[in-house]
Amino acid sequence: MTCDRARRLFGACWDDELTQAEREWFEAHLASCDRCRAEYDEFSRAVEWVGALPRTEASPGLEERVLARTRRAVIAPDRLPRSEPRWVAAAAVSAAVVLVVGALLLVPRASWWAPGTEPPRVAYEALRSPTPLPTLKPQAGVEGSAEVMTPERAQVDPESEVAVVPDSLFDHGEDVEFILDPVTLHRGRALVTRAGSRVRGVEGEQAIISF
Amino acid sequence: MSRVATDDEKAFTELVRRYQGRVTNLVSRILNDRECADDLTQEVFVRVFVHRRNYRHGSKFSTWLFTIASNLAKNEIRRRVRKRNWFSLDALQEMLKDSAIQLADPAESQETTLEREQLQAEVGRAIATVPEKYRLALVLRDIEGLPYEEIAQVLGIPGGTVRSRINRARGMLKRKLQPLLRKAATT
Repeated sequence: MTCDRARRLFGACWDDELTQAEREWFEAHLASCDRCRAEYDEFSRAVEWVGALPRTEASPGLEERVLARTRRAVIAPDRLPRSEPRWVAAAAVSAAVVLVVGALLLVPRASWWAPGTEPPRVAYEALRSPTPLPTLKPQAGVEGSAEVMTPERAQVDPESEVAVVPDSLFDHGEDVEFILDPVTLHRGRALVTRAGSRVRGVEGEQAIISF
Repeated sequence: MSRVATDDEKAFTELVRRYQGRVTNLVSRILNDRECADDLTQEVFVRVFVHRRNYRHGSKFSTWLFTIASNLAKNEIRRRVRKRNWFSLDALQEMLKDSAIQLADPAESQETTLEREQLQAEVGRAIATVPEKYRLALVLRDIEGLPYEEIAQVLGIPGGTVRSRINRARGMLKRKLQPLLRKAATT
């Protein structure tokens, strides 16, 4: 039993991890036990041999090879899905829609219409209500009232009774109406008002935007 | 390492230069294959670079590096065991020959050199026959000289288990080298 205990302490003794009491006991035991002393000599020699093995040096040019492999690893595409914010995709789709709509708006003017002819007019009579919507009058001095376009800015087409809203981005010489359906707008904000005129900008859930 | 994390290639080159020897030595002692150790060392550094942003700055870099190296060496041992071609005596002898020539004492006689080389070959072979989990702990401790706490972190096991594995590995090694130890004791 005493020899077993001593052998269990071989490693700790070699690593200098014995307490003072353990060391004193261990050394006393080795001094009195030839077999354990011989065993410990063999143990320590074996560990010494392992520690004395020559070091394997890195082969010449290893550094360059590592750098070359690292560059290749960096260039290789990452197979893991990258997490991009959703707004990026949404913004990209919105931008694409705007571009397509813009192109559709501009291309017919440039090439489809022959000079001197009337441009096609899109009119949807079915959308026109037989009874005009009540006209909201702007309340003077009240912030956020129903008027969103001043009378000076708004023009009225008396034939179609559809508000023609000037827009600085487009040529307003020709009237083209576009219907966005469904577009839910707040009536109070979307109505275009002009004193003494029957103006209709919104009916139900459809908006008519004129250029 | 913080510079490496910001894609500083110069810093990475310096890191490779500083640690390539230790990694090569560790891997070659675990695998007993110089050529494979070279490939594996490259792989270790590639992984260091690829995962550079995963390195936690509070921890010791060498611990992280040895963890990667040990895991790759472990995978390689398992791959070889599967292929039943895990020990190459030729590669070992070649490796030991190279190392011996490099570190040979010029005053040493030819006979002594041969004896030393043979002894180193035996020791290397004995290490290679120790089971993998004990071998890793043994190499990290007795060849690389890592403290127990760091070995525990590298291998991801408790400190007590590290001590026990190293003790068992040393005991196995002593038994395998018994004839040589006896012979050395009598001369």
